[in-house]
Amino acid sequence: MRTLPQNITHYRTYLRMMQAIETYLHNNNFLKVDLPVMLPALIPESYLEVFETEYRYFDTRRSFYLAPSPELLLKRLLVDGVGNCYYLGKAFRNSEPESSKHRGEFTMLEMYKVGADYLQLADTVLEMLQALHVATRPKHTSSQMMRTYQGISFDLSKWEKLTVAEAFKRYAQISAEELFDEEQFIASVRKKGYQTVRTDSSGEHTYSYEDLWSQIYANEIEKNLGTAGHPTLLYDYPIQFASLAKPNADGTTAARFEMYIAGVELGNCYGELSDWKLQHHRLVKEQQKREASGKIAHVPDWGFIDVLKRGLPDCAGIAIGVERLGMIFADVASIADIRLIEID
Amino acid sequence: MKTYAGGLKKGDFIIHQGSINQVIKTEFYSPGKGSALMHTKLKNVQTGKTVDYAFKSNEDVETVEVNSIEMQYMYKDAESLYFMNAQTYDQVAVPVGMAEGFVQYLKEGDKLYVFMQEDKALSVRAPLTVRLKITHTEDAVKGDTVSNARKPATTETGATVMVPLFVKAGEVVTINPETGEYVGRSAE
Repeated sequence: MRTLPQNITHYRTYLRMMQAIETYLHNNNFLKVDLPVMLPALIPESYLEVFETEYRYFDTRRSFYLAPSPELLLKRLLVDGVGNCYYLGKAFRNSEPESSKHRGEFTMLEMYKVGADYLQLADTVLEMLQALHVATRPKHTSSQMMRTYQGISFDLSKWEKLTVAEAFKRYAQISAEELFDEEQFIASVRKKGYQTVRTDSSGEHTYSYEDLWSQIYANEIEKNLGTAGHPTLLYDYPIQFASLAKPNADGTTAARFEMYIAGVELGNCYGELSDWKLQHHRLVKEQQKREASGKIAHVPDWGFIDVLKRGLPDCAGIAIGVERLGMIFADVASIADIRLIEID
Repeated sequence: MKTYAGGLKKGDFIIHQGSINQVIKTEFYSPGKGSALMHTKLKNVQTGKTVDYAFKSNEDVETVEVNSIEMQYMYKDAESLYFMNAQTYDQVAVPVGMAEGFVQYLKEGDKLYVFMQEDKALSVRAPLTVRLKITHTEDAVKGDTVSNARKPATTETGATVMVPLFVKAGEVVTINPETGEYVGRSAE
């Protein structure tokens, strides 16, 4: 463990940004909610591994898990009618090695706006980003909403709005028809030269649509997002990536967006799924996938479904990686550059 | 030999799209949709060109077996760096692109590890440190007391490095050739 006093200037920028987040949300009537991070049950998510710990008292043993997200708690409060709310604190993901943009223990801002759809929440988020810009901008900057990150300029006055289908067409030359048809999609990916089949001792396995989609997204799409002069709002993900998002009326996409600046993903938003039957169905599927993949068998939070039965109000929610946002506003290459303590 | 992409390390040699590439950088990435990915920066050993490529972390990758042999650096021309095996007196050429970023700190006689695939030289490993004589640097301006202030200095190989103000021309300094950073003053 080392201290990094050389990062103090960047850290101060990060702090100013955090304070501006709290001020903005307070002024706009979002209730700050302090939450426990050790939970007895979690929403099953097949692509996330969790940290497990244990409470001990004489012969008593009880498993707890570090929260990978505050969603299951905030949604309980939304059902109770708490209204607009947010959590700003730690979240934990296991089996994810540290990189310049990620650490298994990270700071998350998760906020919910009641009565808003996902694109209306995008307007709120943009306004918040503008407030963070004003709080952290270097002195003597002339232009109102212009900012630079690692040499890439962007203007925070508006989003560049792009659907996932438009982005695949523009950057990966994959048509909407191919994108929304799993077989056609896998065939196009194979044609591009990607590995679509894996062989091991138990035979040949074809990679899933989700796996290949993510690889194309990482190789051909993501680096372009938020590099054309504005932050990019990429929206309407294929229904396979709906997770806890509402399906759209088109039947092929979900009400989800992600936001990018200079190729860096900063947040993930859902028009929240309130149909408890569909939610239950998705969680059962995720739980089965978890079991099949040998991940930690945490206690699934089926109580979450009971809560949803009481009726989640119409709302949209977003999770934002706060260190990444700090990295953008401090204009540094890595989230490690805004830390004062490093664990090697 | 095969491995999985999630296990790739900086310095590994792999076959990617038909050519031998050295892994320059790896970064694990879990996008929260689909399986985890391994972002890599790959350098083609023939062309010296780099590409970014994201593998699925459980994707099969064919690795190339290499031996690293300590050799003496001799000289370079526009295309290659030339090394000699001090045991066999064999000479090998490594494309300049494979030493990009640290070639300017090398001097004749330096010992480096050359990566060989059978008798073909693929790449060369940057030494951890190099010791270079400073041939030119301005004397520090009096009164400049910022503790970590730096000034430019020219090394005997012609490279420019940032050194502390107390370093004088004629001194030998230790440099990290991968970052170009000053490490310390050398006893010699």
